[in-house]
Amino acid sequence: MEKEIHLLQFITINSMEKVNFRTHILSEHLQNHRHATTATISASPCFSYVPPEVSERPFSFDVTSMRKLMDGHNFGDRDWLFNLMVQSELFNPRLRGGKIFVMPDYNHSMQQQRKITMKRIEYLLDHGVFKGWLTGKGPESEMKKFALLEVIEIFDYALAVNIGVHFLTWGGAIQFFGTKRHHDKWLSATENYLINGCFAMTELGHGSNVRGIETTATYEANTGEFVINTPCESAQKYWIGGAANHATHAVVFSQLNIDGKNQGIHAFIAQIRDENGNICPNIRIADCGHKIGLNGVDNGRIWFDNLRIPRENLLNSVADVSPDGKYLSAINDPDQRFAAFMATLASGRVTVTVSAVYSAKVSLAIAIRYALTRRAFSITANGPELLLLDYPSHQRRLLPLLAKTYAMSFAGNYLKLLYIKRSAQLIKTIHVVSSAFKATLTWHNLRILQECREACGGQGMKTENRIGQLKGEYDVQSTFEGDNNVLMQQVSKALLAEYMAAKKRNKPFKELGLEHMNKSCPVIPTQLISSTLRSTQFQNDIFCLRERDLLNRFAAEVSQYQAQGESKESAFVLSYQVAEDLGKAFSDRAILQCAIEAENNVTAASLKSILGLLRSMYVLVIIEEDSAFLRYGYLSTDNAAAVRKEVVKLCGEIRPQALALVSSFGIPDAFLSPIAFDWVAANSWSTIEN
Amino acid sequence: MASNPYSFGETDQVLVEEKSSARIFTLNRPKQLNAVSFQMVSRLLDLFLACEEDPSVKLIILKGKGRAFSAGGDVTAVVRDITQGNWRLGANFFGREFILNYVMATYSKPQVSILNGIVMGGGAGVSIHGSFRVATENSLFAMPETALGLFPDVGASYFLSRLPGFFGEYVGLTGARLDGAEMLACGLATHFVPSNKISLLEDALCKADSNDPAVISATISELSLVPNLKEKSDCHRLNIINKCFSRRTVEEIISALEREAADKEDEWISSTIQSLKKASPTSLKISLRSIREGRLQGIGKCLVREYRMVCTVMRGEISKDFFEGCRAILLDKDKNPKWEPSRLEQVTEDMVDCYFSKINEEGWEDLDLPRRSNIPPCAIAKL
Repeated sequence: MEKEIHLLQFITINSMEKVNFRTHILSEHLQNHRHATTATISASPCFSYVPPEVSERPFSFDVTSMRKLMDGHNFGDRDWLFNLMVQSELFNPRLRGGKIFVMPDYNHSMQQQRKITMKRIEYLLDHGVFKGWLTGKGPESEMKKFALLEVIEIFDYALAVNIGVHFLTWGGAIQFFGTKRHHDKWLSATENYLINGCFAMTELGHGSNVRGIETTATYEANTGEFVINTPCESAQKYWIGGAANHATHAVVFSQLNIDGKNQGIHAFIAQIRDENGNICPNIRIADCGHKIGLNGVDNGRIWFDNLRIPRENLLNSVADVSPDGKYLSAINDPDQRFAAFMATLASGRVTVTVSAVYSAKVSLAIAIRYALTRRAFSITANGPELLLLDYPSHQRRLLPLLAKTYAMSFAGNYLKLLYIKRSAQLIKTIHVVSSAFKATLTWHNLRILQECREACGGQGMKTENRIGQLKGEYDVQSTFEGDNNVLMQQVSKALLAEYMAAKKRNKPFKELGLEHMNKSCPVIPTQLISSTLRSTQFQNDIFCLRERDLLNRFAAEVSQYQAQGESKESAFVLSYQVAEDLGKAFSDRAILQCAIEAENNVTAASLKSILGLLRSMYVLVIIEEDSAFLRYGYLSTDNAAAVRKEVVKLCGEIRPQALALVSSFGIPDAFLSPIAFDWVAANSWSTIEN
Repeated sequence: MASNPYSFGETDQVLVEEKSSARIFTLNRPKQLNAVSFQMVSRLLDLFLACEEDPSVKLIILKGKGRAFSAGGDVTAVVRDITQGNWRLGANFFGREFILNYVMATYSKPQVSILNGIVMGGGAGVSIHGSFRVATENSLFAMPETALGLFPDVGASYFLSRLPGFFGEYVGLTGARLDGAEMLACGLATHFVPSNKISLLEDALCKADSNDPAVISATISELSLVPNLKEKSDCHRLNIINKCFSRRTVEEIISALEREAADKEDEWISSTIQSLKKASPTSLKISLRSIREGRLQGIGKCLVREYRMVCTVMRGEISKDFFEGCRAILLDKDKNPKWEPSRLEQVTEDMVDCYFSKINEEGWEDLDLPRRSNIPPCAIAKL
């Protein structure tokens, strides 16, 4: 092992001055003694670690091809960025059990975490990682940006959120809400971090309900300025990432008032700090304080005290104000104006969705690798203890989550491509699909993190093993970029609108994947056998049946309430139960279709066969867990029992492929954690300093 | 395997000495600067495997006869075989060589390599993976493959990528030569012992009669010193190396260097650019990618990938630069290879991809590494 340590230790040298260089060599030699002496002490360990690569059967499919299928694009760029991080001291490399791991030090204070996060950003900037993120053109540069952001997320979500705030929300607002004058002035400056942007939308009193925000912007024709004001405490900007410490500029969302008339929500650029980092006059900023996670992000609160900004700082792609104070917009309907505004925010939701998948991959890779090396209890007299993953119950805990992660990974890829292709026609689809996937995938990730933490037992408690800490870091995903529950309600509402429109005009469904509603209602066989349960036909049928039935029920329930005199809005509010079921049905069906499409595009038989197993697992475990199938009678109790049995069988069939499946996630060893590898060596006495 | 592996009569390409519990293997082709031949590789592999099983053996010392440790793989023989249509022999050579590299990297007993002279290419492969590498003032290390139309193989994508910062990219792409002091400074060598103390070192190691790496390390340390880096050492250039060789592509590395050169007149920068421009464009691109992938992989995966790459090189379907390089450097010695494609931008991403893809044809199967029982955890990567 020595020789590895020798070379690996050098990674930690970054500044590499010659003196350092040599001292390091010397200390290396000294260390050698220590390591080796203790190695002899532990010559007869009670429990010897056997790497899963040695104990497991050889892979039945090519993991490199599978990784390509999952990551989808920009493999070389991803590897390059992994390389940049692994080779820098800033990414906190640590030697554990003969391997180097990079991960943030969560024992750092909040301020330390924020500081190191900014240093990491500077390093990435210096190495050209952000080149073209705002000035690049075309889908290729967008996909590259997504890929690099995913790699950053794998290292640390706080780092990714900081970068996401700057590039996707601040930068995105300039790109999409702004016009040429804003682009020329800000995009390149943003890309090179000459300024630090933040996105001031949420307020203490209003989060998901953006239209209710209370900050005002009043135009003064005589000075040609907008006056931005925080009229009351509930109007203070809240949770503004970057605001507490480092942002110099903000996109401020406010109610635009002209001549006493409210024109609705508009976005303005305001400088909040000068180049020396001092807070500008007429602005007050406070810290949001310590959080349950993401302490590397400096969330802040902002109050505006009649701050004056030039007229040109209105981001005017949707609406403008002329110097003499005329409100000008191509879109007359304020509802549509708002929708056009919000549509551009989808990129944030897309990256949140995809990052949830990568977090799920990290934690599953760790928990499954651990379960392939950790043993507990013997079930035969004097027999060896059993590997955790050889317990059917442990398989049932982790393998369905693995299958879901595969399906969701394909869903994430689909969403990225959908977003890249965006056009006026696709606005609705993007909004609905990104809302549904964002909620479903982020909830899925949180559930995975909890299950994996528990599956790793006490080791899951250590932050160096990542999973437990990720729970805190990713928890906010169910809230930001749209509260998951609110998003799911919007999905159901959009489906209902589609339904009403089709019925009213007596036209077939042709959007949101509802085309299946045009066909006759699928019939589920009365007795489900294994081969049926595993057929795409059945799986598609039962998911479509559920969606179709729930949509009908939702429409019926809403109209029933309306017939009783309730308003449309209150009818929605009252029908929340069916709405919830429907949102889920839509999302599950759409994800299934992404998985089927990915499977169909694969030619290698070995890949196809494992993807088929995973797809069946994905569907059957949803059927097993979602009581809607029994509640509304899509399945008989006999068939429900058959499904449950099949899940167990699938667990057994996926078990031998578990290592290959997590290896295909393409996450380099250094970005997993010590318990994913030789955790005996990582915890041995010899690793203790002094 | 012969019943007594220490007494092969058939060849003396590797000399074997038994001194108490140590085995001293001497590479013995001094006229060819101990170029690693198929025969030598096979013999070493047999010897290493036998010694691992033999409880009386505690330590292996590997050295070279004459002024070289080993100047590299015997590529002239390989090229001759391939051009005569015996590509199978070429594949066998690389396959066997990489398996030897793998066995050394995962070896359960200490291996001390005494690098008292030239250590290049295949010579690095049979030493750097071992636990102790002793450099001297005569050491001369280089991975010169890109100038030969090949790429740093023998597991170099593993060990080069683990050098500090982006020094490995620099060494692998330019073929830069390092002396003993530099080898020690960057971690390629674990110790530096003056050559006049090498025989003392051998005696001390044999006397130590130990397989404990700590004891071996201490024994070597007693005779070792930390030499000064020469004034113009590449090791003083780490800042600029990191700045330029961390770039995403070969083209970007070169333009970063050219930007530096524009800022100030500097002999080192211009000679670095020169060596990149002289190297095979295809070699440069596949080498960079190999090192970048290697940094994220274990040694086994690195060797399997490098074997795919070397097979693609031998098939010559994407580029015949390896044959051209061998012609120009080793056979005709005109030192003027005509690379094809001749420019970096002609080497497309798709072409590079081919070197990393599985060859789905009979006879070109992936390298089948032996399953090692006591493999260190770091030797295993999952991708």
